[in-house]
Amino acid sequence: MELSTKKGNIKRKFSKKLSKGNISRLFIAYLYFYSNNAYTTKWDVYLDGILFFCFGENGLCHVLRMELFSTCSFKKKHIDYPVNFNIMELTAQSIRTKPPKGGVRMKIIDVKNLTKTYKKNRGIVNLTFSVEEGEIFGFIGPNGAGKSTTIRTLLNFLYPTSGSATIFGKDIVKQSKEIRQNVGYLPSEVHFYDDMKVIDLLKYSAGFYKKFNQKRMKELAERLDLDLHKKIEDLSFGNRKKVGIVQALLHEPKLLILDEPTGGLDPLMQNTFFEILTEEREKGTTIIFSSHILSEVQKMCDRVAIIKEGELVKVETIENLTKNNLKNITITFEQTNAIDFDLEGIVKKEINGSEMMLLYSGDIKTLLNQLNTMPVQDLLIEEPSLEEVFIHYYEK
Amino acid sequence: MIFKRELKRNLKSLIIWSVVLSGLILLTLSIYPQFAEQQNEMNKLLESYPEPIKKVFGMNELNLGELMGFYGVEIYMMTTLLGSIYSAILASNILAKEENEKTIEFLLSKPVGRSRIVTEKLLSVFVNILILNGVSTITSIIGFQFADDPDVPTDTFTLLAVATILLHLTFGAIAFMLSSMLKKTRSIMSVSLGIVLAAYFMNVMAGISEDLEVLKYFSPFKYVDAAQIINDNKLEPLYMFIMAAVIFISVITSYMVYRKKDIAV
Repeated sequence: MELSTKKGNIKRKFSKKLSKGNISRLFIAYLYFYSNNAYTTKWDVYLDGILFFCFGENGLCHVLRMELFSTCSFKKKHIDYPVNFNIMELTAQSIRTKPPKGGVRMKIIDVKNLTKTYKKNRGIVNLTFSVEEGEIFGFIGPNGAGKSTTIRTLLNFLYPTSGSATIFGKDIVKQSKEIRQNVGYLPSEVHFYDDMKVIDLLKYSAGFYKKFNQKRMKELAERLDLDLHKKIEDLSFGNRKKVGIVQALLHEPKLLILDEPTGGLDPLMQNTFFEILTEEREKGTTIIFSSHILSEVQKMCDRVAIIKEGELVKVETIENLTKNNLKNITITFEQTNAIDFDLEGIVKKEINGSEMMLLYSGDIKTLLNQLNTMPVQDLLIEEPSLEEVFIHYYEK
Repeated sequence: MIFKRELKRNLKSLIIWSVVLSGLILLTLSIYPQFAEQQNEMNKLLESYPEPIKKVFGMNELNLGELMGFYGVEIYMMTTLLGSIYSAILASNILAKEENEKTIEFLLSKPVGRSRIVTEKLLSVFVNILILNGVSTITSIIGFQFADDPDVPTDTFTLLAVATILLHLTFGAIAFMLSSMLKKTRSIMSVSLGIVLAAYFMNVMAGISEDLEVLKYFSPFKYVDAAQIINDNKLEPLYMFIMAAVIFISVITSYMVYRKKDIAV
């Protein structure tokens, strides 16, 4: 197991071998160390790292490998670890932390019968939903469903045809400017002024708000591995996206609106990005997140609005949406004709020569047991497409 | 913020235009001494020009042997026409570029009102036009020193400078209005340059043929005719009013359109 740690010195490596039989399931965790030690706070020590661990048969946690790399150097060597652990496991369960304790949560966004129709686009029809404070709210739907139109109407790039909406209790048309003071927006396609350097763009962006936090800019840029002194035109798509992320987060907004945020980011960067979002939500930031990738939404969101052809199909919690554990399975048999079989949990079946395509929501072990006795050449288990999930979900 | 950014962004093109225009002015003025010396022969040569041509360039009413007359015929044509082209290009780009290059999503997501975007961009257009005019005026004054008698009547020269600025602002404002309405910078630029050249062409046509004289009312170039200004030593109030009105209406329309427009990239 190798891990690339591009930047930062590896401060401490720790690994332990386990016999094969012990491994039940592998976990990867990202570690954060915020020192509360009198020694270290003076130097503002900030560390992160990656931890690989698994649970053995006896239920104990075994650390396979731990890599720590610091993002700033230490002045003294004799600091005792661990200082203050904060392990975050990048799985659906742990990222979905509990809502803030106590009290009634405020509605950050309240949309009532919002309709926007314009020339070429289908627009959105009669949307009604609300997003509560501290929530991560997903917008999910196929391309062209109206996700971006909704977001653009909320930000007043577009004027609503009818209906209304408020953000922070303020009208999205009349008080748009005040709303935007506390909103961070990441467009799906980031476009910045090509002639500017990253740092100049970020300063320009910060100039519109009443605050500019240089330290935060540097910290974000460092975590995202973004070179502040490059010109925008020399950046790749992914790097431009990073600039977009930094400019959206820099002024510490109360509401983050992210339109397909992960496009163009490599998996490691996506994880860093999700980490940052997790920290934001812990601070109480509300996040709206649009995507057409189900697993991404599953990982991050509390609730999702499913939007299709401009209409809101339903607002649903993630738990309910993915309860059925739907998988897309393709089985290729050794012989020219697929062997037909039936199992509980098969939602849809399609046979095409030696290939059999299943939409399956049952126990995966049952299926594997069934296949065990069959002449299977190849097996492909995939996340179902959104369409398939929706169709399945709403047929029930 | 936006104003400063726009000044910076357009600085390079302003410098290029200033250098080119200044170069042309100095080059042209540097031949004036020779011109003045050989006035008689020159005048004879010019006499042989067809009447319409002389009329178009104001040669029939202005004396090329005098510095002011030379300026009115040779230099003024360059500053008015080239400056108008510059103004049209500059203003066509300024609002629509953000939409065309999709940077408007960035700008609009900041806490800034649409009116402020329009105001700062408009201001930057006007300041750029003023700077270009300042440069060409100063260069002309420097160029006048080539002449044996470099003195020109200050009031007439000032009137010409004011007329030029007003003309540039008129074309700038029209192009700016187009920029607020349309999205494709290239088509806006074609239209606004088309307007400038059509106006210039109408002015020429009005000079060539008596029948087409009615065209002059449609051409701002006619409003700032050098011969008229130099000979009457005043600006025609009606023309100035028309230009001011065009500027005013274009600017108001820009605000109205841009504030209410759906901006989707």
